[in-house]
Amino acid sequence: MHIPDGYLCTEVWTATSVAGAAAAACALRRTRTELSRPQVPAAALTGAFIFAAQMLNFPIDGGTSGHFLGSALAAILFGPWTAAAIMTAVLILQSVLFHDGGITALGANILCTAVIGSFAGYGVYKAALRLMKGRLRAVASFAAAWVSIVAAACGVALLLALSGAAAPGAVLGAMFGWHALIGIGEGLITTAAALCLTERGTMRARSDGSFRDGARVRGGAPA
Amino acid sequence: MSGGPGRSGEYRITGNRRKWAALAVLTLAAAGLLSPWASDRPDGLERVAEDLGFVGREAAVPAFSPMPDYEVAGIPWEAARTGLAGLIGAVVLGVVLWSMLRALVKKER
Repeated sequence: MHIPDGYLCTEVWTATSVAGAAAAACALRRTRTELSRPQVPAAALTGAFIFAAQMLNFPIDGGTSGHFLGSALAAILFGPWTAAAIMTAVLILQSVLFHDGGITALGANILCTAVIGSFAGYGVYKAALRLMKGRLRAVASFAAAWVSIVAAACGVALLLALSGAAAPGAVLGAMFGWHALIGIGEGLITTAAALCLTERGTMRARSDGSFRDGARVRGGAPA
Repeated sequence: MSGGPGRSGEYRITGNRRKWAALAVLTLAAAGLLSPWASDRPDGLERVAEDLGFVGREAAVPAFSPMPDYEVAGIPWEAARTGLAGLIGAVVLGVVLWSMLRALVKKER
């Protein structure tokens, strides 16, 4: 779901470029406090995994394919701002090195997949956990991933409609429909990865955020 | 948000190095070996663009990308063109993110 050059009208791509740059700057600033130093290698690796997984288009019904997005996975693992920063890096690399996603559409792509995707995924994940009192994390992850990609697709549809590329109802319906289907794949991959890569918080201090909270004893249990 | 005090029951990323090593292997395998066999059907947005007739709006602003369409030029075997592009992308991204986040997230104290 990378908007190429030309799909957006001048007003829309100019405005989204400015907003996208501002959002990216904000994400970088907030990542400073959201991410902890020991998490850095894992966050970088997750970004590389998301890039690789995005290359693997899987066929869905009706001669179409879908691919993993990853915003929800990054948000579940590291928080929404860090996820937005990671996704922005993925998008810039794809656009500059591989001509996947237009340069003029970079801001729009950042807003839709990095910002909307990460925050929708994170919000749904947290809300679902609260609703189910921390149980059924698989369900929370799946729902977060599905909503994340569908919300990003609706954002893209909105920008296309604003650009006069297609009628609002038609493009919104079509983007929603296909990505509701692709979202099943997104949900399965996100759930498997999120369950595998998280654990309860009483483990070793090396990779947890509680370093900063005073309990910085090496190998000791967090406070 | 993430990284709060270590209340038990709070989930955080695993400290199990084997799992992260497995993710690294999976990443390289996906980028280098599996990517040439990904479906080349149009993705969700491309399909909608075809159906609603705005696919023609696509305009390549000066194509300066060194590896357009995830292919390294000058290799006779198509799978190798894509696989190599995937490997380069994954490694470059990992290195860029690592150095960027390291510079951004200061050491404690």
